[in-house]
Parts: sequence; C-alpha cells; structure tokens
Amino acid sequence: MELLKNPVDGFSAGLVDDDNIFEWNVTITGPPDTIYEGGCFNAIMSFPYNYPNSPPSVRFTSELWHPNVYPDGRVCISILHSPGDDPNGYELASERWSPVHTVETILLSIISMLSSPNDESPANIDAAKEWRDHRDEFKRKVSRIVRKSQEAL
Amino acid sequence: MDSEDDMHDANDVESLDDFYSGETALASDEDDGDYEFIDNDSDDSEDRTSHRQQQNYIILSEEDICVRQEEDITGISTVLFISRVAASILLRHYNWDVSKVHDAWFVDEEGVRKTVGLLEKPVVEFNLSPKEPTCGICFETYPCERMNAAACGHHFCCACWTGYISTSINDGPGCLMLRCPDPSCGAAVGQDMINMLASEDDRDKYSRYLLRSYVEDNKKTKWCPAPGCEYAVDFVVGSASYDVSCNCSYNFCWNCTEEAHRPVDCETVAKWILKNSAESENMNWILANSKPCPKCKRPIEKNQGCMHITCTPPCKFEFCWLCLGSWSDHGERTGGFYACNRYETAKQEGVYDETEKRREMAKNSLERYTHYYERWATNQSSRAKALSDLQQMQAVQLEKLSDKQCQPGSQLKFITEAWLQIVECRRVLKWTYAYGYYLPEQEHAKRQFFEYLQGEAESGLERLHQCAEKELHVYLEAVGPSKDFNEFRTKLAGLTSVTRNYFENLVRALENGLSDVDTHGACSRTSSSKNLGGGGGSKSRGGRGKITSQRPFPSQTKGLDDTNHWSCQHCTFANLNSATTCHMCHNRR
Repeated sequence: MELLKNPVDGFSAGLVDDDNIFEWNVTITGPPDTIYEGGCFNAIMSFPYNYPNSPPSVRFTSELWHPNVYPDGRVCISILHSPGDDPNGYELASERWSPVHTVETILLSIISMLSSPNDESPANIDAAKEWRDHRDEFKRKVSRIVRKSQEAL
Repeated sequence: MDSEDDMHDANDVESLDDFYSGETALASDEDDGDYEFIDNDSDDSEDRTSHRQQQNYIILSEEDICVRQEEDITGISTVLFISRVAASILLRHYNWDVSKVHDAWFVDEEGVRKTVGLLEKPVVEFNLSPKEPTCGICFETYPCERMNAAACGHHFCCACWTGYISTSINDGPGCLMLRCPDPSCGAAVGQDMINMLASEDDRDKYSRYLLRSYVEDNKKTKWCPAPGCEYAVDFVVGSASYDVSCNCSYNFCWNCTEEAHRPVDCETVAKWILKNSAESENMNWILANSKPCPKCKRPIEKNQGCMHITCTPPCKFEFCWLCLGSWSDHGERTGGFYACNRYETAKQEGVYDETEKRREMAKNSLERYTHYYERWATNQSSRAKALSDLQQMQAVQLEKLSDKQCQPGSQLKFITEAWLQIVECRRVLKWTYAYGYYLPEQEHAKRQFFEYLQGEAESGLERLHQCAEKELHVYLEAVGPSKDFNEFRTKLAGLTSVTRNYFENLVRALENGLSDVDTHGACSRTSSSKNLGGGGGSKSRGGRGKITSQRPFPSQTKGLDDTNHWSCQHCTFANLNSATTCHMCHNRR
C-alpha cells in the first residue's frame, strides 16, 4: 500500500500467498559501501494476529553470515522485541517494539543492522567472534554469500 | 548505631555472666523443686525479653497497604504540586521511597521529569487542521473525539490505545511503567489513561499490579511467605532480630523468608535446607554402605552372610565381597567363605587404601549428619504436635479443666503459656541441631559449651513437655477438684519460666557465636582472683574492649563515678548500694 506508492530504496516486499496477509516476502539488497553490497537477500516476515501490538518476526531464507542473525536465519534486533521481554525494557523503550513501527521502519533497521553489526549481544556467536577477531575471514565469507545470492536470482 | 550495638552486646555479656553465676543456684533449686530463685529473677528477665522482642515490624492487611499507598501518593502530590497519577508514577519509579522522591525532585526537577516521563507540556502540537486525523498505529482516520494522547500529545485512536494497553498489562507488572507508543517519546501513561481506555479486567489487573508493586518494590515491606496468606510485613530496617510473626500465625525470618530460625543465622539455614533436600546424602549412603557389582555396577548392600556374593538376575555374577574378584578364583585356598587372602595381601600392599578411606569417611560423615538430622526432624515434628496440642487445649480441654477444677479461665492461662513456650522451644532446639552440625569439630571448647547449653535446655524442655502433657492429664481425668491443683500450677509455671531462661541463654550464646567461651575459660583459670575476670575477658575478647570499659568493673572504678555501687565478689557485677544481694548472681554482699 504505502510501500507500493513510495518505494523505499534497498528493499521490496510482497505477500508470500495472496490469501494470507500475515506472511510477507521481502527482499533486502545489501546496503552500498558495506561488505554486503550487491547481495540480494530474501526473508519472510511473519505477523502475529495481534499486530501491531506485538512485533512481527523476520527470518532470512537466503544464507546470511552476520553476528545478529541466528544460524537458522532469524533476525535478532531490539525493535523486534516487545518491551515485556525485558524487565528493564522501559529504560530502552525507544529501542524496542512499539505499535508505531511499520514494515518500513523494521526493514530500515535491518539494513542498518547489516551495515553496523552489534557484537555485544550476538545471535550467531561464531560470526560475532569472527567479525571481531578475524575480520578478513569474515569478509571473505560474506562476499561468498553475496555472490551466491546473486547467482540465485 | 555504634553505641546501640555496644549496648546490645553488653546486654548479652551481662546475661551470660548471669547464667554462669546462676548455674549452681539453678542446679540446687531443681533438686528442691523450689522455684523461688526464678521468681526473684523473673521480673528482670521479662524486662529484658520484652525489650529484646520489642516489635520491630507491622503486619499489614490489604486495606492497610491501600491506605498507606494512598497516603504516600497524596503526600507527594501535595508537596510537589503534581497530580495524584503523576505522584503515583513518580513514587513507583523510586520504589515507593518518599524521601528519595523528595530528594531527587528538589535537586533536579527537570531531570526527574524527563527520566520518569512526566511532561509539563506537549512535545507536539496536535494539529487539528485536517478534520480527520490519522492514527499512527492503524493508519485509519478518525474524528478528533475518538483520538487520545498522553501528556506528550502523540495522538492514537482509542481502539489502538486499548490494544496497546491490554498487551502491556497482560505482559506483566511492566505495564506500570507504560510509555507513549511513539518510540521517540518517553511520556508516561498513568492510571488515569488506563482507567479511561482499558477493559474492566485489565483495569483490575493494573490496580493489582500497582498494589503489589507497593509491597514488592518497597525495600521495607515483604509479603508473608506462608501459602495463601495475604498479609504483608513492614519491617524496621536495621532491627536486631529478623523474626516476624505474621497474623496468619506463621513465623518467618524477614531476611531470608525461611521459617523463623533464631538463633541460627540465615546462611547456616540455607546450607542446612539445601543439604536436607540434596540428593548428595543418598549418594553418600550408597557410597558408604554398598559396593558396586564388579560386573554390572549396580550397588549392592551386604547386610548378612558370607563373602560369596551372587548378584541378582539378570547379572548373576558370583564374586568375593572383599576383593571384588570373580568367585571362581576363590575357595579353600583363598581362605574360604568368610575371609579372603587375596584381599588381605592386597590391602597390605595398599591397593584398597583410597577407596576404603573414602568409604570410611563417607560413613562417618553420614553418621554425623544423620545424628543431627534425626534430632532436627524429631523436634520439628514434636513442635507440630505441640502446636496441635495447644490448639486442642485452647479449643476443648481448657474449658473442661475449668469445669472440673472449678477454676476461672483466667486462672488457667499458665497452661497456654506453657504450651506456647514448648512450641517456641522446640523451634529453637530444632535449629540448634543445624547449628551443631556446622560447628567445627576442632573447636572443642565451643562444642563443649554448646553441647552443655543445648543439653541443659533440652532436658529442661523435656521436663516441661512431660509435665504439660502427662501430669496435666491427671487433672483432666479427675472426678472433682483436686487439692494439689495449685501445686501443679506452681510447678508448671515454674518449669515454664526455668525453660524460658535456659533457652534465652542458649539463644544468646549462639547469637554471640559462642564468643564467650574464651572469656569463660579465662575466668575459670583466674578463679582465685575473680575480680580480674573482666580484665582477662577483655584481653581474650580482643576487639570487645569497649564493652568491658562500659561496665563498671571494680578494677576500673577509678575512672568511673562509682561511689553508688558495690561490686559483687562472685560475679563482679556492679550493684546499687541499696541492694543487699547481687542483682545478677544473688549471692549476698
């Protein structure tokens, strides 16, 4: 709707199945000037029935090597966590889920996550270690993944 | 604070001296069956008891909690000129600590407002120009009256607000810190908005959370841990004793919320409870009393018979209990059915030392633990029995007794008192066994002293329990008034008072960590010159010099204005000149 009228740079979105508006297919392009540049990563966004009061979840279906993405593809960023998950959540209310967030703000957050990983609370510990200690190896792995994603197109 | 502590300690020391010097008198009293001494002493000891047990907590019912909460909110709201809702949010943020709210507010009102989310004016002007504004959550347009906003002015439609609030309330007590849905905005959402926008169920839940928060987030209140009990306890922080007796009749320790365990400290109790529940003791038993079958490794306990062991099916392995070797290698030549030469030889060579030693140690430590545990558990069940006896007594038997013995109910109070004392003593005695278990084996003097005090207390209690249980029975079954009922009264009341004294000594000594053992030793060593006892004590007590100097010992009279006192030859207590016998040990001047 809003997205179709004003497409945003960096991603496109559509329904997985036209009869089910709770499952979205999104494609995120690797942000320019980052090691993910040129990659085309597919992900599925699943919305809960009480959306927007609860956050959707995002899972990459393309292979992705990133400290904040679980090995199975689930994305771990703070705005996808409802404030209730964390007893101290109120302190960081602005960083957590709020019904005011939209698909657009979520995807923008994911893109910014791709360009600046947060290795303090990693979802993929191996990736986080590599990102911190062996940046070269990390970059090699990512460029292989980027190539793979292009071939899949 | 300092001086108060000292005073407290000084009291303890005093009372222990009292105990030592009184002990001979007590012993002879028992033989005579004469409790005069106790009567003399009772006023004084009761004074001390009541002083020590001065209530340092208040039991609060739900209404009391509500009232207090309302009072605090009203107070803050009047002093800071803010709405009651704002005051409530503010208090919750500072864990309901009124003085903290005041401090923070008057130091930096703006900062506090910002962190808590109490805005003075909207951050956005609500733009009324479009006739139908759009809700930022569902992107629908609504007439202005169906939109709502917190103090910040971020408007959302009522339906989205309801959903937002409901999600948060159902997520738990975090809803008390609800903020505006706009991620960039920290404006607090208070109870006024909740009540306006949430469903009735959610409103109730919210106010429950608010009430609970007043107890749970407040440092000086806790819920009574008894199951089903709805009272909370307001505790004066820094009090000497943690014991709390809730209106539901449950006694617990305010510090660790386990059942009351004075005189044993919380740490010991935690260790003991863990030990009782731990599987480790089972393992210890298995280790000490069984050997694993050499083939299938199942533990086998050998409780009788010869050394030829056949494991139960399906294993059926036949082996020698001593050397755990296959039985096929055994027979007459290895010593027959009751010995094993191979084992003896191997043992001499030291092959079994390690395992045997471990087994032996496990056995000893298990026996030690069992010893204390059994006594702990016996007193526990004995206390439970005494409690139900007490209730039975109050419910039925006192009335019956009153009829039979033609005594008014007020004259039978001594029986209830005796039973209350029994219940309390069983509790204390129970915990002294946990204490005993953790008292280091090598501290011989302390162990001896502890066991002595415990033994005295225990035998006193047994006498009292016996008297209250068995002897009372006679008067209950009597046909008419018994002549010697008054004697019985004197006896039971006396026993109650003696037992109370014993237990107070025990409790005090344990709370001191038996630190007076050294002093005691010093005193008996210098018994020929008892007046120096105080000096000797202060030396061995080290850091406790302060206490000694507070007490008007005769050797220190120079520094004290002490012409009004005389010091007892026996216990060194400084008595007023008007007294003819020592206030402490009752020896004549």
